Amino acid sequence: MSVIIVLLLPLVAAALVCIPFKKYWASGVTVVSSLATLILAARVAWLVSDGNSVTADLSVGWLKWVAVDGLSALILLLIAFVAATAAIFSVGYMAHGNLQPGKLRLYYINYNLFVFSMLAIPVLAEPTLVWMVVELTTLCSALLVSFENTREALEAAWKYVVLSLMGAGMALFGFLVLFAAMQASGSDDDYTWTNLIAAAPAMPPVLLQTAFLLILIGLGTKVGLVPMHTWLPDAHSQAPSPVCALLSGIETTSILYVILRLFPVMQAAPNSHAETWALVLGLISVGAAAFLLLQVKDYKRMFAFSTVEHMGIILTAVGLGASVAGYGAMQQIVSHCVTKSFCFFAAGTVLLAVETRQIASVRGLILQAPIAGAALVFGGLAIAGAPPMAVFLSEFSILKAGLTQKHYVATGLLAIFIVIAFFGVMLHVNRMVFGAPDSSGDASSPQRKNGSTLQRFNASTLPFSCRLALILAAVPVLVLGFYIPQPLHNLLTQAAAALTR
Amino acid sequence: MLNHILFNLIQVLVVMAFAPLASGVTTRLKEMIQSKRGPGIFQPYRDLWKLFHKDEIVSEDSSWIFRFTPYIVFVTPIFVTLLIPVLTNYPLFFAFMGDMLGAGFILALGGFFATLAAIDTANPYGPVGASRTRMVGFLAEPVFMIVFFTVSFVAGSTIPYIVQEKWVTPLANFFLPSHVLLVLAFLMLILAEGGRIPVDNPTGHFELAMIDESRFLEYSGRGFALMKWGGQMKFFVLMIVFLNVLLTPWGLAGDQTLSAVLLAIPFVLFKIFCFLLVLVVIESSLSKLRLFRIAEFLGAAFITSVAAMIMQVFLP
Amino acid sequence: MSDTPDQLLDNLNALATGLFLLTAFGIVAMRQARGVLNLFILQSLLLAASAALLGFRHHSEHLYGVALVNLISKPIIVPWLLRKTASAEIYTRREVDQVLNIPTALLIALGLAILSCFLGQPLLNAVAPEFRGPNVPMGIAGLLIGAFTLSVRREALPLLIGLLVMENGAFLAGISISRNLPLLVELAIATDGLIIVFISGVLIRAVQKQIGTTAVGELAGLKEVTVEPAEKEETK
Repeated sequence: MSVIIVLLLPLVAAALVCIPFKKYWASGVTVVSSLATLILAARVAWLVSDGNSVTADLSVGWLKWVAVDGLSALILLLIAFVAATAAIFSVGYMAHGNLQPGKLRLYYINYNLFVFSMLAIPVLAEPTLVWMVVELTTLCSALLVSFENTREALEAAWKYVVLSLMGAGMALFGFLVLFAAMQASGSDDDYTWTNLIAAAPAMPPVLLQTAFLLILIGLGTKVGLVPMHTWLPDAHSQAPSPVCALLSGIETTSILYVILRLFPVMQAAPNSHAETWALVLGLISVGAAAFLLLQVKDYKRMFAFSTVEHMGIILTAVGLGASVAGYGAMQQIVSHCVTKSFCFFAAGTVLLAVETRQIASVRGLILQAPIAGAALVFGGLAIAGAPPMAVFLSEFSILKAGLTQKHYVATGLLAIFIVIAFFGVMLHVNRMVFGAPDSSGDASSPQRKNGSTLQRFNASTLPFSCRLALILAAVPVLVLGFYIPQPLHNLLTQAAAALTR
Repeated sequence: MLNHILFNLIQVLVVMAFAPLASGVTTRLKEMIQSKRGPGIFQPYRDLWKLFHKDEIVSEDSSWIFRFTPYIVFVTPIFVTLLIPVLTNYPLFFAFMGDMLGAGFILALGGFFATLAAIDTANPYGPVGASRTRMVGFLAEPVFMIVFFTVSFVAGSTIPYIVQEKWVTPLANFFLPSHVLLVLAFLMLILAEGGRIPVDNPTGHFELAMIDESRFLEYSGRGFALMKWGGQMKFFVLMIVFLNVLLTPWGLAGDQTLSAVLLAIPFVLFKIFCFLLVLVVIESSLSKLRLFRIAEFLGAAFITSVAAMIMQVFLP
Repeated sequence: MSDTPDQLLDNLNALATGLFLLTAFGIVAMRQARGVLNLFILQSLLLAASAALLGFRHHSEHLYGVALVNLISKPIIVPWLLRKTASAEIYTRREVDQVLNIPTALLIALGLAILSCFLGQPLLNAVAPEFRGPNVPMGIAGLLIGAFTLSVRREALPLLIGLLVMENGAFLAGISISRNLPLLVELAIATDGLIIVFISGVLIRAVQKQIGTTAVGELAGLKEVTVEPAEKEETK
C-alpha cells in the first residue's frame, strides 16, 4: 500500500500548491511531501531488500499493474532521494529570483507532477503504461525547462519536447510490437515485465528484435545516447538548477531503467544481439561525450555532457554482460544519481554567485565564493570519478567486470574515454575555481573587470536551504565511495539479478 | 461482325454529337453557380456552325503543319473512341487495335501537333502556350504511366474492357485502395489535361495567363472549328474513359442488340452530366494555380498514383 | 457467402490505410497551417475508421474502444485545445514554409512509404495470418513520414502535427498486430496525446510571445561555439 501512497503524495502536493497562500506555502508543502515520499520509498526499498513483497495487497482491478522488485525499488528510492534534496534546494534557489507568487506556484505544481510521473515509471509493470508515464515526464518537465522564458530556454524546451516525443512515437510502436510478439508466442497473460520474460523464448525473434531496436532508439533519445543526444545539453543547462538535478540526475536514469528491463527478455530469445547493441551505443556515447566535454563553454552544459557519458557507461556495463557487470551498472546508477544531482546543486550555487554560465567568465571562484567553489571542486572530482567517491568505485567495478569477461578492447576504450572525460571536467573546474581572477574572462564580461560585482554574492548570502541540500546530497556521494550499507547491497544485488534471466 | 462495326460508328457519332453539348452544359452550370445569365447549352453548336461558314485566314509564313493540325486534332479523339468502351462493355470491331496505352498515345499525338502548330506561326503567344502545355504534359506523363501500370497490375491487362470488369467483380474490388486512389489520381489528370480550373482557365481571355487556349489563337474559320470540336471531343473521351473504365463501369450495353446499345446512350449521358456537376463544383470552389504551382498539383497526382501502386504491389 | 463481407471489410480497411498514407503525404506538402490541421483531423478519422472496421471484422470490442477514443480525442479535442492555446498560429497565418521544396519532400516521403513496405514485410511474416494486412506497413510509413515532417518543417504547428502523425502511425500499425491491449492503456495513450497538444500549444504561445515568430527551426542559439550574448537574463 505504501507504494500507492508514494505515488499519491506528489499529486496531493501538486493540488495543495494550487492554493494561493503564504509565501513559503508552496515550497513548504513540496519539501514536506517529498521528504515523506523519501521516507516511504526508503521503507519500500528496505522491505524489498529483505525479500518481502510490497505489492501483495494490490492484486485487484487496475492496481494489478503495480509491481515492485529490487530494480524498481532501487530506482524509486533514488528518485525520491533526488526529488527531496532538489525540493530543499529549490526553496532558496527559487526565492532568489523574486518571482511572482503565481509563477512560483506554477513551478511547484510542475515540479510535483514531474516527480509523480518519474515515480510512476519504476512502479508500473505494464510496458505501455510505462511508456505513457515516460511521455508524461517529458511533458511535465517541458514547462520546467522553459521556466525562465528566455529565448534559449524556449529553444531548449522546444527541442526537448520535439525530439523526446519523436523518440516516444518510435518507442510506442516498439511496445506494441512487443505486445504482438507476446501474443504470437501464444501467451495469454497480462502484458507485464515478468510475463514478458516468461513468454520470451517462444516469441518470434524478428518481432522481438524490432521491438528492442525501436525501444532502444526511441527511449535512447530521451536517455541522451549519442546520435540522439543533441537536445540534452540544451535542456539540462537551460532549466533552473534544481530541475537540472532532476532531469540529469534521475530522469535519464529512470528512462534507462525501462531499456534495462528489456535485457532479460532479450536474453531469453535465441541469438538476439541486445548486448552488442548496448555495448556499441554505450561506447559511442561515452566516447563522444568525453571529447565534447573537452570543448564546452558553459559549465552547466559540461555536467549535461557528463550525464551523456554516464548513461553510456551504464549501457556499456550492461553490454559487457549483465550477469557479471550488472552489479557495477547498478552501482553506477546509484552513484550517478547522487553525484549528478549534487553537481547541479553546485552549479546552481555558482550561478547564484556569479550570474553567468560561461566557463570563461568565471575565475578564482574559491576566493570570491568559497562555498560555491568548494562545492564545484567536490562535485567535479566526484562526477569525474576521483578515487574516494562513489563514481570511482562503480566505474572500477565495471572495468573489472569487463576484464574478467575478456572484453579487452571495449574495456580498454571505456577506460580511455573515462580518463579523457575526467581530464575534460577537471580542466574546466580547475580553471573556474583556482584560475587567477580577471585574466581571460574579460572579453566576454567587461562589466566585471574589477571583480566587484562578484563580491555581491558570497557565502553569507547563500540561502540556508541551498546549503542544507548541498550537505544532504554530498553525504551519499562520499559515503558510498567506501562503504555500501548491507540493505543497499542487498538491493543492488537484487537489482542486478533483475537484469539477467 | 457487321453490327459491331455499326455499334462502333454509333459510338463515334455519340462522341461527335454530344461533345459540344457537354461543353455547353458545363458553361451553363457554371453560370448558374455564378448567378449569371449566359448563353444556352446549345451555344457551342451555334459557334461551330458559324465558324464553319467563315473564311479561313492562314499566315503565309506557316508551313503544312499549321494546315494539317486541325484535322489531326479532330481525328485523334475519334480514333480513340474506336478503342474504348463508350456504350458497350464488350469489345467492338476496332478494339483490337490498341489498349489504354495506345489511346493515350493517340491523344498525345493530337496534342503534339497542336503544339507544333502553335510555334509554326510567328505569333508570340503561341510558343508561350506551347511550352506551358508541354510542361503540364511532361508532368502529367509519368502519372499516366503509373496509372496504366497500376491498372495492369490489378487487372493483368491494359485492355479497357477487361479492366472495367475487374473493378466490379466482386463488388468489394470497387473499394480496393488502389482503385480509389487511381480514381483520384486520374481525376486530377483530367483536370490538368483538359485544361480545367486549378491548372488552366478554359474561359480565360487573357493571353498571358493562357495555357491551352493560346495554341489556337492563330486559327480562324474552319480550322478553328475543327480544333475546338476536337478539343471538346478529347475532353469528352477522357471523361468516358474515367467514368466507363475506372469509376462507374455500369449502365453499358451488355447485349449485342441495337436497342441495348441505343439504351446505353442516355445512361452514359446521365453519368457524364453527374460528373460535370462535380467538375463544376470543383472548378467553382478552386482558383487557378500559379504557373509554377502546377508542378505541385501534378506532383500530388503522381504521389496519389504511386500510393495506389504501393497499395497494389507491395501489400498482401 | 460468408467470404464476401469479410473481403469487403478487408478492402475497406485497406482503403482507409491507403487514404491514411495519402493524408500523411498531404501533411508533408501542405502549405497552409490550417490545411495541415484539417488533414490531421481527416487522418485521425481514417484511423478511427480502420479501427472500427478491424473491430467489426474480428469481433473485437477493444478496437471499438480505440475507434471511439480516437474519434473523440483527436478530431474534436485537439483542434479545440489548439484554438485555446495557440489560435493565432493557426487561424491567422496562411502559409508556412519548409526546408525542402515540395516535390522533393514528396518524393522522399514516397521513398519512405516504399521503404516501410519492405520494413513491414518481416514483421508481417512473423505474426499470425489473421493479423496480416496493410496496417503495419502503412503505420510504419506514417511513423517515418511523421519523423520526416519533423525534419523538413520549421514552423511550430506543422512540427506538432508531425509528432501526432507519428503517434497515429504507431497506432495504425498497433491496432492490427496487438489487438487486445486493455482499454485503460488506450485511454491513457489518448490522454497523453492531448497533453502533448496542450503543452506544445503553451510552448508555441510562449515562443510566439517571447521571440515573435514560430519558426522554431530557426532557433539555433544553443551551441558549443557561440558565447551567449544576453547575460542579464541569466538568473531570474
